[in-house]
Amino acid sequence: MTGAGTDPRTRADVFAVDGEIGPDLARVDWSNHPLGPPDGWPQSLRTAVRILLSSRFPMWMAWGPELTFFCNAAYRRDTLGRKYPWALGRPANEVWAEIWDDIGPRIDTVLRTGAATWDEGLLLFLERSDYREETYHTFSYSPLRDDDGALVGMLCVVSEETERVIGERRMATLRDLGSDPSVIRTEQETLAFAGRQLGRNPWDLPFTLTYLFGDDGAARLAEATGVTAGHPAAPATLSPDDPGARWPTRTLCEGEPVLVPLDGDGFADLPTGGWPDPPVQALLVPLRQQGGTPYGFLVAGLNRYRELDDGYRGFVELTAGHVATGIASARSYQAQQRRAEELAELDRAKTTFFSNISHEFRTPLTLIMGPVDELRGRLRDADERTREELEVVRRNGLRLGKLVNSLLDFSRIEAGRMQARYQPVDLAAVTADLASVFRSAIERAGLVFEVDCRPLPQPVHIDPAMWEKVVLNLLSNALKFTFDGTVRVVLRAEDGQAVLRVADTGIGVAADEMPRLFERFHRIENARSRSDEGSGIGLALVKELVGLHGGTITATSAPERGTEFTVRLPLGVAHLPADALAPAGAGRAPVSAEPFVQEALRWLPTDPAAGMVPDDPAPVDGPTPALSGQVATRVLVADDNADMREYLTRLLRSAGHRVHTVADGQAALEAARTYTPDLVVSDVMMPRLDGLQLVAALRADPRTAGTPVLLLSARAGEEASIEGLEAGADDYLVKPFPAAELLARVRANVELARLRNHHARWRTALIDSLQEAFFICDSDGAVVEINAAFTDILGYGPEGLPYRSTQQPWWPDPKAEPEAHRQVSAAFSVLLGQTQGTYTVPVTHRNGHRLWIAAAFNQVDDPDTGRRVIVGTFRDVTAEHYAVQRETALAGLSMRLSQAEDLAGALHGVLDEMRKLWRATAVVTAVFGDSPDPDVTATDPALRWESLPDARRQALLALRDTPLLTPVATRAHGAGIAVEHPDGTMALWIDLDEKRPFTEQDQTLLALLAGHVGQGLHRVHQIDQQRETALALQRAILGPAQLPAGFAVRYAPATLPLKVGGDWYDTVELPDGRIGIVVGDCVGHGLRAATVMGQLRSACRALLLQDASPGRTLAALDRFAAMLPGAQCATVFCGVLDPATGRLRYSSAGHPPAIVVHPDGTPVFLDQGRSRPLAVRTGRDRPEAEATVPARATLMLYTDGLVERRRQPLTAGIDRATATLQEGRSIPVDALASEVMDRLTPDGGYDDDVALLLYRHPGPLELDFPAESSRLAEVRTALRGWLDRCGLAPAHSYNVLVAAGEACANAIEHGHRDKPGGRIRLRAAATADALRVSVTDSGHWRDQNRPADPSRGRGLVLMRALMDSITVTPGVTGTTVDMQARIIR
Amino acid sequence: MSTALKLSTSGGPDGTRVLTAVGEIDMSNAAAFGAALDDAVRPDGDPLVVDLTEVEYLDSAGLAVLFPHAERIALVAGPLLEPLLTISGLADLTTVRSG
Repeated sequence: MTGAGTDPRTRADVFAVDGEIGPDLARVDWSNHPLGPPDGWPQSLRTAVRILLSSRFPMWMAWGPELTFFCNAAYRRDTLGRKYPWALGRPANEVWAEIWDDIGPRIDTVLRTGAATWDEGLLLFLERSDYREETYHTFSYSPLRDDDGALVGMLCVVSEETERVIGERRMATLRDLGSDPSVIRTEQETLAFAGRQLGRNPWDLPFTLTYLFGDDGAARLAEATGVTAGHPAAPATLSPDDPGARWPTRTLCEGEPVLVPLDGDGFADLPTGGWPDPPVQALLVPLRQQGGTPYGFLVAGLNRYRELDDGYRGFVELTAGHVATGIASARSYQAQQRRAEELAELDRAKTTFFSNISHEFRTPLTLIMGPVDELRGRLRDADERTREELEVVRRNGLRLGKLVNSLLDFSRIEAGRMQARYQPVDLAAVTADLASVFRSAIERAGLVFEVDCRPLPQPVHIDPAMWEKVVLNLLSNALKFTFDGTVRVVLRAEDGQAVLRVADTGIGVAADEMPRLFERFHRIENARSRSDEGSGIGLALVKELVGLHGGTITATSAPERGTEFTVRLPLGVAHLPADALAPAGAGRAPVSAEPFVQEALRWLPTDPAAGMVPDDPAPVDGPTPALSGQVATRVLVADDNADMREYLTRLLRSAGHRVHTVADGQAALEAARTYTPDLVVSDVMMPRLDGLQLVAALRADPRTAGTPVLLLSARAGEEASIEGLEAGADDYLVKPFPAAELLARVRANVELARLRNHHARWRTALIDSLQEAFFICDSDGAVVEINAAFTDILGYGPEGLPYRSTQQPWWPDPKAEPEAHRQVSAAFSVLLGQTQGTYTVPVTHRNGHRLWIAAAFNQVDDPDTGRRVIVGTFRDVTAEHYAVQRETALAGLSMRLSQAEDLAGALHGVLDEMRKLWRATAVVTAVFGDSPDPDVTATDPALRWESLPDARRQALLALRDTPLLTPVATRAHGAGIAVEHPDGTMALWIDLDEKRPFTEQDQTLLALLAGHVGQGLHRVHQIDQQRETALALQRAILGPAQLPAGFAVRYAPATLPLKVGGDWYDTVELPDGRIGIVVGDCVGHGLRAATVMGQLRSACRALLLQDASPGRTLAALDRFAAMLPGAQCATVFCGVLDPATGRLRYSSAGHPPAIVVHPDGTPVFLDQGRSRPLAVRTGRDRPEAEATVPARATLMLYTDGLVERRRQPLTAGIDRATATLQEGRSIPVDALASEVMDRLTPDGGYDDDVALLLYRHPGPLELDFPAESSRLAEVRTALRGWLDRCGLAPAHSYNVLVAAGEACANAIEHGHRDKPGGRIRLRAAATADALRVSVTDSGHWRDQNRPADPSRGRGLVLMRALMDSITVTPGVTGTTVDMQARIIR
Repeated sequence: MSTALKLSTSGGPDGTRVLTAVGEIDMSNAAAFGAALDDAVRPDGDPLVVDLTEVEYLDSAGLAVLFPHAERIALVAGPLLEPLLTISGLADLTTVRSG
């Protein structure tokens, strides 16, 4: 294809628009083409080609007489297929020869008419691949004109839609297959449905065959579409083993799809489906089954006009999947259907069986019961055993009869053969009658039985026999599951119905069991009941019977609260079949209630106290034939059926065994631990704990692990017995059993066990013979074995074993007795932690007694298990313990009594001791003396008689009248005793914690202690009295109680408890206004020195009053002292002070010098006027000296006890005292006195008497005057004088004067304006560098913040300006204005 | 009994009027002092000289009497009273001379 057409210029001109198609168009041999070379083409053609090539939308065009074909790249891609590039430049009818029939006419029309065409989704079979292809196109043909406007071609704009059309078609088929499978029930219906859907798509599935595998592996044609049955391609069956079979069954059976070419003879004349020609291939897809070989396979004839691509293959497989799912659900539905039918059939068979067998039972039962009744009559006088056995036969006959009748009722109801006769009755009366039958049984069970059947407004139609069964069954049920509380029967008319309610307070029914409550033969497992017997048909029968009455029964229940059944019967007869109605009273068929009651009575314990028959060694009949040379064997029988228990008891006793019976497994377990039987014979089915659980529990407990167990069961069969033996039972017997076999097995088991347990018994006997308590603990401290003495001492027996570690029941309560608990805890860790040891601890006896035990223990290894255990013994040391406690308490009490300073202190000590001793919450005493209210002393010091609770007051009053020293203990609150107190009878009460018992020992101890207390208090009282006398005397000896202003004194005797010693101080107000001051020191200290001191002080005082000369006073005192033994060498400082001037005349008799500290701190020692101590050389004059105490100076007189220290010169002490005075010159004189005593206190306290006297000059001014303005002038005069004495400058003095005047004016104005006649107190005091003035009124300021008078406001301003600080303290009784001013030196 | 206070009014050497107080002035006799002031003060003319040189005590009661006349009096006071007159603010309202 080369030549002129390749002219680049031309190509560029026409074909250059597109790089893909353009070059190929250029290669066309246009030179030999009817259109000629492109450069000769008309402009219209060139434009059309250019448009075509540049478009991204699929297009082709035809031009010229041959309709020459052009297309663009998009068309090539979507549609042209392998026709490219061949198609370029060819005539269109050649290019699209295969569809020319379809499109030729359309093109013709366009060229002829110039009108465009439009086709949507047109099916065209294209041959653009290797086959004729089903394709769909939407396209438009539009005319093309040449330069002259003539129609010379057409342009096709096309979009291929093959994928869309086919996809939608396939989707429709899959959708239809999945539509509404619910209507399909059988496999055949499923396949037919699928067939219909597949048949509707003959294009993708020209034909289909569905083969299903049979049990023999052969595949059978189940469904076909598009092909008629009998066609060679659709054989009815296919053998997997036939290699020549039409379809490869085996491969498909393995689950693999297969593609089969449809050539060969067998595939001739295949149906064509929706196509002109038949399929050439078929895809075979297995119908997969989940978890199994395929159900079969689907043969799908394939559309020959489509490639088998992933989409097509997926479609066929999905189709097969749908078919397989349909088959699966149909088959499973059918299987369920079949199962339901089988079950129904089984149920019918069972009912028939029960019906038959019940009939069979009834005959022999009748033949048993008849003769038994006759026998009972005839043997009325026979021996008791015979009569009892007859009773057993009769009772069990009745029970069997009841069971059989119930079953029979059921089968009748089932078979619709129940013949009810409904007659009108007074339902209330009938129901109450029926209920009354049960009354004795219910009441014997200890339950309250309430029947409340009120008359109904009209008779109710019932079948009396059926109603009886309804009521009796409900009552029987209530009794069976109720252990305490009430069973209640209520009948009412409600909403036009008769409503019966039977309610109990029993164990109730769990919510998840409720739906099955009325189900036949359904029994709630593990429910606690009075009997494990029962067939599970009672409630089901009731429901059926109620249903026959057109009624309903419902139940509500709460576990552990109870159950209530509600039966509702419609009134009237509309709901009953007319032919079953009977007139009132017609043919009443009485059904005996006896079987119900008899059965219920057998559930109740024979011994009302317990479910255990006491072990009676006497046999029922005649003496026990003892086993040869052996003690009688102890057999424990556990069975919930009372008859069976009695039967076994008789049987075993007749063989010489001792029998103990219990009614359930739990009781058996408890009995086995305490009764230690040689053998346990137990039923398997029992309430609370069944036989197998019992065996397991017995084996788990070391005390009972060796006890042989023989299980009895009604359940026959290998499996049941193996289960029993596996649980650890030693033997197993199936009921009914021959008596001889039971006895033989009992004997064999007992002897075997005896042999096994010989050593164990010997050991037990040995341990039990110990007088000390013996115990074994495991490694955790749990007590696993004990002996009899253990039980004797602590009260806890082997029935509680094992006693788990920590907080064993004998441990003291950690809350009530924390200390005792702590001791036991500590001992317990010693027990666990050490290989051996001993301890003594408090424990609590089972009856609450406090015990003390002394224990010893050893760790040993158990030879059998190799495990470490602790073996211990202990003995009761309570008596010893209390003896020690008593002695200790007495000693403690005596100590307290002897240490007490006075009676009250002694009593407090005693109460405290008693509280500790008994760990009491409180101890209270009341002394009934002379005062109207008893004098209360308690461990709570705040308690008073009025604040005591009334009950306590009554108790104390009652105690007062009991005999002295006789303890009174009450169980709950504590104990008390009456004691003699010096002031009267004292009632003493000890409040104990509620849990603390006040034992015999406690009472003895209390009496003993109370005796001691009485004596002790009297002794203390006597001492008290003496000491009080002494104190009064001492106070008299000591200096004056009232001191002149400005003085402060301190006194510290060296000898306690004396309040006086050999030192003294004294101040004497002399007639001339001066003040005598004396400080003296007798030799020695203690009582003797004090007596001398007292006389010297008095003498000195008298002498001073007579002659105010210190020297002459001391000289006279010399003479006095000379006559007074012990007064010699006493030292005295005697001075006479003028408080107005501070002038002091003094004389010292060997006394340390007084000290004056000036306001500036300068010390001056008054060491003149000195001479010898007293009575050393009498008859000589004594010198006097004079000194001045300046304003605001401090004078100190003291005795040497203050300053004297061992191994220190006296001057060191004096210097220390001086320094203290200097430092304290700014504080008030009284505070300074304390400061001096504190600062000079040696380590360990003063060891000599100390007397200290301080004076600050001038003494404070204290004025008390009426609140009247006329008094102000004289107040000012006094204050002015005092301020002068303080040494203040006139200006400063004037400031203070004005401030104080303002304060007084305020007091008059505010404090007393409304209340005339009040008083004002003014006090002024000085320290070395400050003045303090306070003015106190006795009134109440109306508003101290806002004085009413502005001039008073000015007064406050002045006060603040004139003084350094002002404090106004309002109070209820008056207002105090406190002012201070510093004195600047 | 009132506090001792003597009051006398006289013409000064230069014709000015002088009120002389001798003694103490407190709330008990401030009224008398006030009356004397009222008598002696003239609404016009030269200010009244109040001589407090011999007053040994004066507090807010006395000050309260003096304040209303502050503009028409001149005070003569000794060193004892001066600080008080200053503190009270009276010295700012009237003239104070040392006596």
